[in-house]
Amino acid sequence: MEEAKAYIETGILELYVLGQLTVREQKEVEDMAIKYPEVKNEINAIEVAMEQYAITHSIQPSAGLEQRILNIITSQEPALPQPQKEEIKIVSLNPGHSAATVKTLRFALAACIAMLVVSAVALYNAHDQLGEANQQIAALSADKDKFASTVSFMKEENKDLQEIATIAGDPTWTTVKLAGTAISPQAKMMVYWHKDGQHVMVDNTRMSLPRNDASHQYQLWAIVNGKPVDLGVFDAEEQPKKLLMAMKEVGAAQAFAVTLEKRGGSISPTMEKMIVQGGVAI
Amino acid sequence: MLHNLYISKQLAATKKISLTEEDLVRALKGKETIAIQALYDMYSGALLGVISRIITQQEVAEDLLQETFIKIWNSGDSYDSSKGRLFTWMINVARNLSIDKLRSKDFRNSNKNQDIENNVDFIDSQKKVTFNADTLGLKEMVTALKPELNDVLNMVYFKGYTHVEAAEELNLPLGTVKTRIRMAIMELRKHFN
Repeated sequence: MEEAKAYIETGILELYVLGQLTVREQKEVEDMAIKYPEVKNEINAIEVAMEQYAITHSIQPSAGLEQRILNIITSQEPALPQPQKEEIKIVSLNPGHSAATVKTLRFALAACIAMLVVSAVALYNAHDQLGEANQQIAALSADKDKFASTVSFMKEENKDLQEIATIAGDPTWTTVKLAGTAISPQAKMMVYWHKDGQHVMVDNTRMSLPRNDASHQYQLWAIVNGKPVDLGVFDAEEQPKKLLMAMKEVGAAQAFAVTLEKRGGSISPTMEKMIVQGGVAI
Repeated sequence: MLHNLYISKQLAATKKISLTEEDLVRALKGKETIAIQALYDMYSGALLGVISRIITQQEVAEDLLQETFIKIWNSGDSYDSSKGRLFTWMINVARNLSIDKLRSKDFRNSNKNQDIENNVDFIDSQKKVTFNADTLGLKEMVTALKPELNDVLNMVYFKGYTHVEAAEELNLPLGTVKTRIRMAIMELRKHFN
């Protein structure tokens, strides 16, 4: 109270109203006005008095000036740099608005999360389905390969059968029947020999030999002028891969014989292991 | 708000527009032209009174009054009612624009020319302003205010002097000038209340 009164008596408030103070001094007066209502009232009283004083010293402007000013102001109006400032004000001063914004943002955030979850699930499903599809493709591909190999196997077989049929009906091919020996009377097989072309074929469809084991193989020999000539080795299988086996070539032979040899064959035949033999009919 | 303003304008169609301080501030900040119309009707004379005592040529003074109103219109947002009355802010705008003009190069040059061409008239016009208080029918009040108080107050309030400049001009201590300003205003307050 005393402080306010003393402050008023310094005369600073009059200088404040007259615009005589520095920015810092103005701030000081404004702080005091907030602190002490009587300072505020004193400032107001000084202002009212100066206002009255100014009004009594009025000089009336020329008649057209007001219209001139209004014209300038109304033509100015569209180009005001105001809206931005006002927008900032609305955001900072209106808590209801910002609460609504926060609410909206929260809602948007929740929506985003929900969409993210949905997307993740959809992606996971798509990934699963893609895996399944890949497996199906692999299975189909394996099937296809199997069929393709079957088809090619059957083609081969068909070719061989046709060849056998051709050989059988072709007089240039000699058919040699090999009959079982003493150690294997049940054994028998068929060799086709094309003398001019020197081709030798073993017919698996008409072979009846005991099955050889893994360490032994049958070896075909041609008897040329009393000497055995190696024509290659083969296996006696239940389901042979080829119906017609091409053997080594020979131009002249009086007989054919098969011995059981160690796998890979021998240089000379083991005579006591001769399974079948047959002479060439002239 | 706007509607009410228009009604009050219609009621006052033949008279001057007059609004409460609160309505004026709201209309000014809301960029309603009625605010400028009202402020013009209420205060244009008082503002021109202040401007004319700093810039004596009537034409230039009226240009400054126009400039003052446009600045008031454009910077209405920067007026803070907690710091003082609207008129105090307006008169500060008018006074600052006038002092800036007085100190501007182009104005000083044109004044110099006037000095040379029309010296006598210029001095007369200066004198006219000095004694204007009498011609405006303020005898009663001027006599109520002692001359030494009147001089100091008018220099600061009307002529754009700072109180420091007034002290130098009148060859008085700064404290005396401050005291005289305060006493002058206290006299005015007695007079107007």
